Amino acid sequence: MDVRGEFSSEREINRIVDVGESPEFIEEKIISLAQAKPKGISDKDISAEIPDLAPARKAAAINKLLAQGYFDLFKQGGTLLYRLKDPSKAKSVKGADNEEKVVYNIIEEAGNKGIWIRDIRFKSNLMPTQLNKILKSLETKKFIKAVKSVAASKKKVYMLYNLEPDRSVTGGAWYQDQDFEAEFVDILNQQCYRFLEQKKDSTKNCKDGPIGARNIAFASSKEVWKFISDLGISKVKLSVEDLEMILNTLIYDGKVERTLSSDGSNLYRAVEPLLSPPGLIRTPCGVCPVRKNCCDVGEITPKKCHYIKEWLE
Amino acid sequence: MSIYLCKLCSVLLLEHFGPVVQTVGDDLLKYDRRSLRAIKAAVNLPLNKIKEVMCVLIKYGFVEHSKNDKLNEYIIVHERILMILRYPRYMFFVKSLLGDEAEIMLEELLRRGYETASKIIVKTYQRLKQLSSDRQQPVEILKEKFESLVKHQFLMRSIITPAALEDPIDLNVEKLDFSFPDLNLLALSRMANGIAANPGDNNIYWRINFDRFTQDIRDQIMVSAITKRFDDNAGELMRQMLNLMYLRTAEWRATSNPIPYVEIKDAVRKLKYPMLIQHLDQYLCLIEEDTCQFLKRVGDSGGGQFSINMKQAFTQLTWTTLENIVLERFGSKAARIFRLVRTRKYVEQEQIQQLAMIPAKEAKHLTYTLLQENYIHVQELKKTTVSNAPTKIFFLFHIDLDQVVGMEISHCYHALYNTIQRRDHENTVNKRMIEKHLRVQTLTSNLKEHGATEEQLNDIAEMMTPSEKLELGKVQDIIKKLGASELQIDETLFLLTMYSRYQEK
Repeated sequence: MDVRGEFSSEREINRIVDVGESPEFIEEKIISLAQAKPKGISDKDISAEIPDLAPARKAAAINKLLAQGYFDLFKQGGTLLYRLKDPSKAKSVKGADNEEKVVYNIIEEAGNKGIWIRDIRFKSNLMPTQLNKILKSLETKKFIKAVKSVAASKKKVYMLYNLEPDRSVTGGAWYQDQDFEAEFVDILNQQCYRFLEQKKDSTKNCKDGPIGARNIAFASSKEVWKFISDLGISKVKLSVEDLEMILNTLIYDGKVERTLSSDGSNLYRAVEPLLSPPGLIRTPCGVCPVRKNCCDVGEITPKKCHYIKEWLE
Repeated sequence: MSIYLCKLCSVLLLEHFGPVVQTVGDDLLKYDRRSLRAIKAAVNLPLNKIKEVMCVLIKYGFVEHSKNDKLNEYIIVHERILMILRYPRYMFFVKSLLGDEAEIMLEELLRRGYETASKIIVKTYQRLKQLSSDRQQPVEILKEKFESLVKHQFLMRSIITPAALEDPIDLNVEKLDFSFPDLNLLALSRMANGIAANPGDNNIYWRINFDRFTQDIRDQIMVSAITKRFDDNAGELMRQMLNLMYLRTAEWRATSNPIPYVEIKDAVRKLKYPMLIQHLDQYLCLIEEDTCQFLKRVGDSGGGQFSINMKQAFTQLTWTTLENIVLERFGSKAARIFRLVRTRKYVEQEQIQQLAMIPAKEAKHLTYTLLQENYIHVQELKKTTVSNAPTKIFFLFHIDLDQVVGMEISHCYHALYNTIQRRDHENTVNKRMIEKHLRVQTLTSNLKEHGATEEQLNDIAEMMTPSEKLELGKVQDIIKKLGASELQIDETLFLLTMYSRYQEK
């Protein structure tokens, strides 16, 4: 806003107003010019469009537009550029004072990721009490909203009212009211595995040899997605990516293997583990929770051990 | 070295050789290598006794002798002592491959450490005779059995003979000799019937080639893994590949020399696996492309060259074992985290909970439990910033496989030690009853031989009260169960030691 000084002499403007066209007409012309160039217009552009415009009148018109919030002003490569703001946004700040505007702009910049109140305070240099007041007033006017982030349950982030919060804030399909839906994930995990296992079982009578059987056992993530969608267990709409996340957990469970198909999509297949559970953990000592304290003397000894006793019975 | 390894070796020596051997063994176990004089100073036993014990230990291969700078030192071989645990498996293996007679021969040899062929054959003959008359085999067949044991390289010529024990200098020249001497069959059958004769192998002693058994168990693990992963056909293919590997590669190489496709095909054709012959290429391709990476295609000449990647195979098997251990000890969610850290190599806490899709609190709890139990490790990465500014530290989780394997191996030692202790304990607590049972049994068999009446036998059988019988059955079950679990733990131990063995090279 510091640029306004260049054109600030009101008297000068008043002297020139009566020459040529009416100020409203000039303003409209500038706006239409700006609309044609979404990247912004410079002083030169305006001079080229309306060559017979006196600099003072031009300044007056631009100042007025800036004051009304039609334009953003910024500097690029030494020249000043005016860019048209989204008219709907421009409208929404109407009736707000300067501080509110500043806060609103900061929140707007944060986009759908939202911004934490502390960061707003640092950026705006406003007092906490004042900032709280402003935020509250903006909230009641439904310009902005507060969203709880899943990353930290007590952290509230602010974003514009009409925005859909980002996945990193809401956690995507796996969160409801900031709670991770572990059961939902578990059920999906089981169902995906069931699907892949069925697919594998269906290959038992395959006559095309082992490789053919293996290739039949593969299912693409789309197929799994379709199966899950048809089951109708999910109230939320899941994307294929969501399902790939679930399938990845199956890989980490060691139950499923993934390969890339020729068209770049992921293929999944249920696999058998290499070994059955090792002998060590089939004995009580293998899974003993107090092994560290177990020795020949003392409270915990193999002779007195309750775990072994239970196991033997 | 783990304390439990020493303790385990010590109880094994006690169980199989008695307290005197254990005392000397303990001293050796404590110091790894000792001279006779040092043992004498530490152990409260007469020198004669110690020498006797050393003879026993050397005879069974538990102790090796080394001479440097005129100092005669004795080194204890832990791995060899641990093999006592595997004797039942060796015997079962020989039994399934070569039959009962071979098993008895092996058992005799295991019991004696080393022996001449003629004596083993005669002993086996007598034992078979005692067992039952219908299983009686003539000496010729027994000799053939012995020869096939040698042919399979389960037995080898012993360099330790009574003569060599007197003068132990050339004991360390290890060379494998499998040449079988001519035996006088007539003399053998005479000896079998208790008449002194000279069979012609007076100074040729045999001992067990343990390395060969180790290889067989190793191969079995690989075959059963492939069978479980794919099917019986693939398992059989793996067995054939391993057989072919022996023809061209030293036993313990990390990867085998390339095996040409033609030879595999020839080997498979001799078998009765129609599906395997039909789809041989596909099976090879299947095993090769699988993530377990047991096979590798190394060339295309002659229809393809394949090599077996032993080291890689055991690394994979070890991972699977560890994953299973984590699964059983901490649950499936923890196993998921363990595998995730494995695949991602270095990973942050935040990523773990996101990728594993486990609620943040649970994920943290499980991660730190695994960290505390040393299954995963943490690496700190400090971001270098301007001094005084609060430094940002990244905590990256990763797995140091060697360390985890080492930990699990000592876990196995501990579990084995505990199981043996417990079994001992059960035995001592119920000693009176077990001994009574034995007395009754010997009495019955003695009386039977002397032609006692049914009534007398019944009287003796009634010496054990019904409650005692019930109790005895219980105790016997317990001891059997503990014995079986020893074998199971040893299976895990074997696999993990195989991994470290390949890692060392």
